[in-house]
Amino acid sequence: MTPDPRAHRTRRRPEGKVLVMGGGIQCALDLADTGFFVYLVDQAFTVGGTMACLDKTFPTNDCSTCMFSPKLVRVAGHPNIEILSNSQLLELEGEPGRFVAHIEKGPRYINLEKCVACGQCAEKCPKKVPDAFNGNLGLRKAAFVTFPQAVPLKYALDAENCLYLTRGRCGLCKKICPTDAVEFDQKPETMTLTVGAAVLSVGFEPALTPRHGEYGFGRYRNVITSLQYERLLSATGPFAGHLKRPSDGSTPRRVAWIQCVLSRDAARNRPFCSSVCCMHAAKQAVLTRSHLPETEAVIYFMDIRAHGKGFDDYVDRARYRHGVQYRRSMISQVYQDPENENLIIETFDHRLNRKTEEEFDLVVLSSGFQPPGSWRDLCTRLHLTVNPYGFATAPFDEPVATNRAGVFVCGGIESPKDIPETVVQAGTAAAEISILLSDARHTAVSQPKITADPTTDGEPRVGVFVCYCGSNIAGVVRIPEVLDRLRQMPEVAHAEDFMFTCSAETLDRLIEVIRKQHLNRIVVAACSPKTHESLFRDALRRAGLNPYLVTMANIRNQCSWVHPREPQQATEKSLSLILAAVRQAGYLEPLTDQRYLVTPAAMVVGGGISGMTAALTVADQGFGVHLVEQDQRLGGFAHSLTETLEGDSPQQLIRRLERRVLIHPNIDVHLNSRLTAHDGQVGAFRGVVEEAGQPEPVDYGAVIVATGGQAYEPDEHGYGKDDRVLTQVELARRIQADPDQVRGLQRVVMIQCIGSRNADFGYCSRVCCSAAMKNSISLKEANPDVQVVVLYRDLRTFGFKELYYLDARRRGVLFFRFIPEEPPRVKTNGTGKIIVDFTDRSSLHDFRVDADMVVLSAGIRPHEASGQLAGLLKLPLTPEGFFMEAHVKLQPMEFSSPGIYLAGLAHSPRFISESIAMAAGAAQQAIKVLCRNEITTSATVAEVDPDRCTACVICVRVCPFEAPFINTDGVSEIPPPKCRGCGICTAECPAQAITLKHSTDNQIEAQIKAIAAGELG
Amino acid sequence: MHDNAAHRRSARSDVNRRHRIGDRGDHFLRRVEGETGANLSACYQCERCTNACPVSAFMDVKPHQVIRYIQLGWRETLLASSTVWVCLSCEMCTTYCPNEVGVAETINHLRKMATHSTIRPKEPHLAVFHQTFLEELQRFGRVNEFWLMGALNLKPGVLKDKIRSGALRQEIELGYTLWRLGKLKLIPHRCKAVRGIRALYRNRYAEKD
Amino acid sequence: MKLAFYPGCSLEGMARDYADSIDAVFRSLEIGLVEIDDWSCCGATAAHSLSEMMAVALPARNIAAAEKMGLDVVVPCANCFNRMRFSQAMIRKGIFDVPWSVTGKTRIHDMTRFLSRDDMIEKIRRRLLRPLSGLKLISYYGCQMVRPPRITGFTDYENPQTLDRLAAAAGADVLDWSYKTTCCGASIGIGRRDIQEALTRKLLAKAVRTGADAIVVSCPLCQSNLDSIQADAGGRKLPIFYFTEVLRLALTRVGRSQRWLRTHIADPVPLLRARRLLP
Ligand code: SF4
Ligand code: SF4
Repeated sequence: MTPDPRAHRTRRRPEGKVLVMGGGIQCALDLADTGFFVYLVDQAFTVGGTMACLDKTFPTNDCSTCMFSPKLVRVAGHPNIEILSNSQLLELEGEPGRFVAHIEKGPRYINLEKCVACGQCAEKCPKKVPDAFNGNLGLRKAAFVTFPQAVPLKYALDAENCLYLTRGRCGLCKKICPTDAVEFDQKPETMTLTVGAAVLSVGFEPALTPRHGEYGFGRYRNVITSLQYERLLSATGPFAGHLKRPSDGSTPRRVAWIQCVLSRDAARNRPFCSSVCCMHAAKQAVLTRSHLPETEAVIYFMDIRAHGKGFDDYVDRARYRHGVQYRRSMISQVYQDPENENLIIETFDHRLNRKTEEEFDLVVLSSGFQPPGSWRDLCTRLHLTVNPYGFATAPFDEPVATNRAGVFVCGGIESPKDIPETVVQAGTAAAEISILLSDARHTAVSQPKITADPTTDGEPRVGVFVCYCGSNIAGVVRIPEVLDRLRQMPEVAHAEDFMFTCSAETLDRLIEVIRKQHLNRIVVAACSPKTHESLFRDALRRAGLNPYLVTMANIRNQCSWVHPREPQQATEKSLSLILAAVRQAGYLEPLTDQRYLVTPAAMVVGGGISGMTAALTVADQGFGVHLVEQDQRLGGFAHSLTETLEGDSPQQLIRRLERRVLIHPNIDVHLNSRLTAHDGQVGAFRGVVEEAGQPEPVDYGAVIVATGGQAYEPDEHGYGKDDRVLTQVELARRIQADPDQVRGLQRVVMIQCIGSRNADFGYCSRVCCSAAMKNSISLKEANPDVQVVVLYRDLRTFGFKELYYLDARRRGVLFFRFIPEEPPRVKTNGTGKIIVDFTDRSSLHDFRVDADMVVLSAGIRPHEASGQLAGLLKLPLTPEGFFMEAHVKLQPMEFSSPGIYLAGLAHSPRFISESIAMAAGAAQQAIKVLCRNEITTSATVAEVDPDRCTACVICVRVCPFEAPFINTDGVSEIPPPKCRGCGICTAECPAQAITLKHSTDNQIEAQIKAIAAGELG
Repeated sequence: MHDNAAHRRSARSDVNRRHRIGDRGDHFLRRVEGETGANLSACYQCERCTNACPVSAFMDVKPHQVIRYIQLGWRETLLASSTVWVCLSCEMCTTYCPNEVGVAETINHLRKMATHSTIRPKEPHLAVFHQTFLEELQRFGRVNEFWLMGALNLKPGVLKDKIRSGALRQEIELGYTLWRLGKLKLIPHRCKAVRGIRALYRNRYAEKD
Repeated sequence: MKLAFYPGCSLEGMARDYADSIDAVFRSLEIGLVEIDDWSCCGATAAHSLSEMMAVALPARNIAAAEKMGLDVVVPCANCFNRMRFSQAMIRKGIFDVPWSVTGKTRIHDMTRFLSRDDMIEKIRRRLLRPLSGLKLISYYGCQMVRPPRITGFTDYENPQTLDRLAAAAGADVLDWSYKTTCCGASIGIGRRDIQEALTRKLLAKAVRTGADAIVVSCPLCQSNLDSIQADAGGRKLPIFYFTEVLRLALTRVGRSQRWLRTHIADPVPLLRARRLLP
């Protein structure tokens, strides 16, 4: 049991395998894609965590299943990932690089290998039980599969409810199962795995249970948690996406949300904020209003915490566009009308000076989150320390570390956080492990065999697969009718429908059908090829077909979503779209991918904390880095910061990072430098760094954008005219530099949201509320009698920062809320007291303070250099000037241009620890490119016919990616790796010399004819 | 709920009507915190107490404002408020407060301060009632409803007000009904411990405001 | 089994009927109640309102007496219960000195809580003479018995169960409702009858909506308040039972006269006859 003491000294090569405990899908993929083998251990019967429960996600209202399913599919099919479901980590012995993990695999009572997920067991099973996945709002059987896209999609028996396992009777499933997969005598098994490191990513769960009795939850049937509501909204939920209330199945006409249930509640020992509930409620209210425009949505809240990128904008839209009603008031109790089970909320109306009763059909409680039930035991077994609320909060400069070396945390169990931050941290954890185990990269994985894609020929036999997409499509389009019509068409050899075509099991089924029916041209009528075509191409590959013989008809985004109220016309339109795709399929040709070598070095633009962290993350894994910093020293924005809210020192951090960066053999530091030219494609870029005016060409395989941010320079409230009006950053410095002056202050007023959340600059700067907490606490520490008045709009001390808000209040800091229409007014003539007038929205009194000092919480702006870089790299910016990531939820660190990644303040305002996490995560995305020898490019590119080209250079001018150039033969040439297949040149070329593969003229003509001819009447 | 800019005080320009923050320091806050052990400064003005309170409509200073006013040191306003007398000590506010502020205990404490102060109680009948109750208690050691009402009605002004409002008739009717039902005990019981209780009662005035 | 009994002032006057039914129920359950000798008033709201010291000292005298008897105390009145628990908590914390010796070891039970213990419920069920089937009841706890939870020990302060369990044990149909612990305003009645009426009327209106036949209470103040205000509230009259009356009805022989049931303003006899619970 005791680890070999010599193991410390002998530097054996570490193990190239990693254990990921919990949902951890993103982390598993990040590791598996960078050359490590992953055991994905999940206690549940399926992997996926909370996200699988969600219906849609804000701010894009994307369907959660649609975003998530491709990831699940990738995990399921990844050669470097082994899923151990229904398993628990018992113990972890050894040391970083070489752990022995003891795992207990619970009995599933159904043989994973044999089960074909036909579902007959569930159909026949007589025992119905509340379905926990659906928040117990619906029923499932004791033989069940958690949700339709589950991975692994294998049935399981619920031992607590199965009649055979509890009472020895029944056994129907065993009799019926066609593959004899039911095994009642399965026992728990233990196994040991050797791994180099472990990640704990067990997520969180709602803290509210009926035991708490809060707001009648568990007592009144129409009081539910927000996660239950998510299931009510979901197409795969208990009411198939039709919003009904639990008591009587009627459509709710008035829905209320109550925020901060078991959050920000010191009395119930939950003094922290759960960070995500404000946006969650906003999203649910918006969805409710769009599903049921007649239904009222009312949110009761204290502060709106929309501290993420673009969140305020979303809340404004919820309010003003969707008519969601926000009421700033916390309710004590929910009452029920016994006659109709409606719920009554009493609030005190200040205008009328009386209690008002409002009746609702449904009340949704935005419950705070807590670590899952089994987490405490796991911590004890693994000797992990957690904070008083059970979360494994990490140190500020090591955002995924635990007290045990080689064991990392990420996601909700570290602290409550939303999806993009979780994705970021997954990347961070992968990066830490990738550094730790870099000697063992590629040792435990099977290198993907690159085989030439098969060329397929023979007469086209077209198969059409129509997707329900839950109820996204099937809720509008009459799919059975579509199928009937398709089956009558002579050119369709086979047509079939699926609930979620993108689920792993459905893909297996699809492959089977392709083989059986000898299909060689495939049409998938579902969603967007942008997100899903590659999935189906892989499926074709696996079916032995050339991957380019599939095409998609987007009957969701282009049909069911836009015509939700015209089912008949939508059905017709779907048919036209599918027919067009069928006609195109007839002309599809097999194509071959191209390959080229990767330059194993990264270009990091920006030498602040993010840039240095990203550079070290790449360099520590043995790859080269060019670190380009505009300034004459490294460190960036953080140079101005003194101390974090938690008491850590950014200055020390900068010095530590700087020292390591400067001596690192793999890092080439360019100070006083800029990237002035950039060309090439993912894996093989070439650019020019101008260092002190000297241009120097550099080669790199990936780019990390870490240009950082800068402070907003206020012109409000006499800043710059009276030196007693300062910013929070300046005050922090003054507290350090001149403690005596600070001790002498009697009255200080802080004003929040300066230069943030207004018409000029819509974002919340995220950090200013915490800065105000930190400085007001420091002022009170220096002199407990100083009066500090903080004027705010919404206090946004999310997560555990809420504890500092409580601390500041306890020390006597006074907080008053103002509204932007009536901002505080500051009068100063340079001498005497500064007069601050404001109206408190809570008491509606007008106040005046004679202050010694006014402190402005000035926001964060993107760095002025980001515009130039965005132009050079052709990256999009938000209206506020921050870089726009590929996808706000699932790809916060990526751009839609491959090979370029994003970190730190360049993305949006954030805390230092968040920047560090993001920098490491972004670096790890770059490693996915750098760790490969060569890259395969898509074959759907434009090709010039040199015989027809007249070298008119129109294509050179119109291409947004600068791919075409005039070659030595004097004609246009388009290097395949650079071409993104947008087709602009193809359309513009006057000589019709350019063909876009997979969208050839004859294919497009066939589509147009199919639709325009109106064959379908 | 009152985010509406239209709904705001008039006389905005009248500087003198602006309350000044800070002139009084936080002595009053510290004092009340010290005397009650309540967490007054932790309040974040969520209004859960006021929403919970069954009688907030009858109060001139709402429970959440009580906390704010203490923070601001507005002692006179509070001691002269109806709130300190109207509060039922039903503990709804304390029970639901997320910051363990102890609102009910605080209001109760302010009521005591008001009793010992020279400020005229906003709800004299309630003040007199409590006083009379204690007097009856020290007379007999127990409290007899019949005698309590009698003693109360003898207090200056009480009877006059009751006659004017018609409350006296109601009271007599109810008294008669109770007597008919055998629920009125006319002869009070006297405890042996009365002496000890009186001693306590005298001591009470040793408690300082 | 023997317990010290602190009746409180109301039980000598307006709540005579409560005292009677307690006596009958405990007799029938064969539990001895020994009245604390020469007990005195707990000080109620007045002492609490005017003097912290009195609020602690007055109940302490009775606690001290019970300690001398070496028995746990049961208290029928919610207000007295609250004051005694409060006093005991303060003394335990050492905040006040009182002239009586109080160790704080005696347990102070709210009577409903004591009788709704599993063994007591079992006992009641076994001795049931007349299950009150068909009688639809809601229970009303008021504020003093359950709040503040840290003093009263009621963790289910929004939805307490003691009265519900007892009424159910008596065989009645107990309905849930949301206003179990909403204050009825009784204590303010003497100075501000308008407030008291507003609160009580609202409660009664909510009670009527549940469709219940009657309300079960344990607090003398709540009983007299709910009972007397509805007399002029109009609408359907709801008899207001002490929970011990409900138990007495279920546990003991009811004679011809039914005198003890005739003490309410809203007369329960017609209801009980209609439900065939009385001849
Ligand atoms: S409930 Fe507590 S925190 Fe909220 S306003 Fe009232 S006293 Fe303040
Ligand atoms: S204790 Fe007083 S202030 Fe608190 S809820 Fe009850 S009546 Fe209102």
